[in-house]
Amino acid sequence: MMADVLYSIRSLSVDYNTRVGAVKAVDHVSIDIHKGEILGLVGESGCGKSTLGKAIMRMITPPGHIVGGELSFEGRDLMTISEKEMRDVRGGRIGMVFQDPMTSLNPVQRVVEHLTETIQTHERKVSDSAARQRAATLVEKLGIRHDRLDDYPHQLSGGMRQRVMISLALALRAGLVIADEPTTSLDVIVEAKFLDLLRELRDEFDLTILLITHNIGVVAEVADRVAVMYAGRLVELGDVFDVFADPQHPYTKGLLRSVPNIQLDGAELYKMQGSPPNLLHPPSGCSFHPRCPAAMDICPRLGPDLLPVSGDHLAACWLYQQQPTLGKVG
Amino acid sequence: MALTEGPGLEAEPEEGWQYALERVGFVRRILRARRWYGADWWFVAISTVMVVGFIILGLFPGVFAPYSAEQRVGPRFLAPGADPDVTILIAVTGSGIVDLEDLAQESGRPPIGVVRGVPTADSLRQQAQVIDDRLRGDDGGLRLRPNIVRFDTQEETLQAVANGEVLAAVLQSSEYDALKDQFPTLEVGNSVTGEAASQGGFILGTNQIGQDVLSRLIWGTRIALIIGFSASIFALVIGVPLGLIAGYTGGKLDRILTVVMDSLYAFPGLILAIAITAVLGPSVFNVIVAIAVLYIPTYYRIVRGQTLSVKEELYIEAARSLGAKGREVLRRYIYPNVIPSVAIIFSVNVADAILTGAGLSFLGLGLPPNTADWGIDVARGQEFIQTGWWLITFPGLAIMLIVLAFSMMGEGLMEIFNPKLRER
Repeated sequence: MMADVLYSIRSLSVDYNTRVGAVKAVDHVSIDIHKGEILGLVGESGCGKSTLGKAIMRMITPPGHIVGGELSFEGRDLMTISEKEMRDVRGGRIGMVFQDPMTSLNPVQRVVEHLTETIQTHERKVSDSAARQRAATLVEKLGIRHDRLDDYPHQLSGGMRQRVMISLALALRAGLVIADEPTTSLDVIVEAKFLDLLRELRDEFDLTILLITHNIGVVAEVADRVAVMYAGRLVELGDVFDVFADPQHPYTKGLLRSVPNIQLDGAELYKMQGSPPNLLHPPSGCSFHPRCPAAMDICPRLGPDLLPVSGDHLAACWLYQQQPTLGKVG
Repeated sequence: MALTEGPGLEAEPEEGWQYALERVGFVRRILRARRWYGADWWFVAISTVMVVGFIILGLFPGVFAPYSAEQRVGPRFLAPGADPDVTILIAVTGSGIVDLEDLAQESGRPPIGVVRGVPTADSLRQQAQVIDDRLRGDDGGLRLRPNIVRFDTQEETLQAVANGEVLAAVLQSSEYDALKDQFPTLEVGNSVTGEAASQGGFILGTNQIGQDVLSRLIWGTRIALIIGFSASIFALVIGVPLGLIAGYTGGKLDRILTVVMDSLYAFPGLILAIAITAVLGPSVFNVIVAIAVLYIPTYYRIVRGQTLSVKEELYIEAARSLGAKGREVLRRYIYPNVIPSVAIIFSVNVADAILTGAGLSFLGLGLPPNTADWGIDVARGQEFIQTGWWLITFPGLAIMLIVLAFSMMGEGLMEIFNPKLRER
């Protein structure tokens, strides 16, 4: 599947400065987001996936900052444009849906004010009544009756609030929607409906969605491609069927084996060795090597690049790559 | 796409009491407060009635006050409820002599007894002259030229009336009250001086220079409210924006402002206010400024703290992800979420400012000396506490009541509007 690249990230690094040193939350990540796809970004807590999502919108706030890399969206270089231009991109062309719908709406504003404000921030000429009309059409499409527009956020259920958040992201016909753990606080029924909705919206609005989650099941259900993140780096990237059917990186393998299976037949669930690394002092070389069952001599000395294993399926692991000849110093 | 028809998508209960509760308006919510906090609703009710009462008094003191606050309207040190001491006419019961005018004769000089050495004789002569002038104009031919007979004591005077030596006596009402049991045949007539009789009682008495305590109390409400509200509003208008900006921008500005505000806050309140009024000189405006400076840090600290916590909320990040500007975020997202706590401390703050204002004028600072102000009344009345307990008791009570009312209302509002307390 060769598609147009909508958003391209090249060698992006994000650090958080703390008293005891810089935390490398995102470390030289390169990834292309294709137009019209749902890209799932999975990883355990603290691996930098939410930071990556925010960096895409250039919304990293101090103490964090983007150390280096290139961000290009629809052919524009987002790293060099001004903050004012960036504000037009945010909400205008890239929307974001947050983890907790309970707290991501302003409790003292009515739902309709959120929508009209967003519309009028970006399109100043739109009149109040026209903005309201557009808001009503939009939420009706998402299954919320328009007479609920005058409600306050606390009067809506969690699923409804999440749909309002999406409608906010879609209010300006954004091309890319970043959904950061959108279903974490929803129950499974609402979650399933929400994922269906995401797919339908993708088709209807010609959306591209970056779905950030720690829930592999969610990714398996809706994503076209999946990217696996570990300790601030991408370790595996590929078509969702390829990755799930034939995981390459030992971390992905471990991750998939530790998901409970309904056909488990009483066997004990796989437990990955060790614990997530401290990003203040990440392990040398490949940061997964202390926990890796297949670690080799080279692993602690040099980190592998993300390279193709077969076709579009990429993995960052020395198992599949030509090992460079190393001198005494690694 | 017919998403609306999907089963379960509309998972919101549209009926039931929870839903109804969410939908009720502000007024009904307050009325229902009774249901939520058990017996505490009367707390709010009483304090609100008191606050409204004080505000009405402060707005229209002229309607409620029986006298002017600054004029001397009666005798000095008149106890609460006591009748003012008037100069009265005393005659034998059944003689028909009630007014001075009844003593008028066609010729001759009716003998009237007075006590030697008191100014009663002068006022009697003056009043008689007034009546005589009027009678001369009439056709009746009557004249009033009293023969003033002086006696050594009040008792001798009254005895003379009882014996028929004089037709009537003119005495102070308090003097007669002390002796009336000894002279059962005598009767009190009307006031001789006229204008004193038309005056009503002094419910809360009069002070050391003959001003009505109640009237000064009522007029004092106005100055107390002016100081309390103006100082609090002044402090709010300065403290809230500073707190918002400092909390939102952070960095160096925040640090400098916080150090300044903390040092103001650390200073003992009344001493700072005394220093400011001493420098600025006495006027109502300067008192307001001095007290406002005192309370700016209160607003600053609360608003800054709230801003810091609200700033981290997800909806702020969500707003930024939708392209909202910093100014917009501050105005539409942070400010409305911060303002409820400001409203609550405002009410408590008014009470505090009134108390500080009273303290300042008690110390003789700030207000011009003859202002009708509770603090000034307490200060001036304290040296007469043995002669007239009412001079300082009633202004003191008024200060206590108004402070109590405003702080109770603040606490009550806090209970109603703080959702964390509501869940208890």
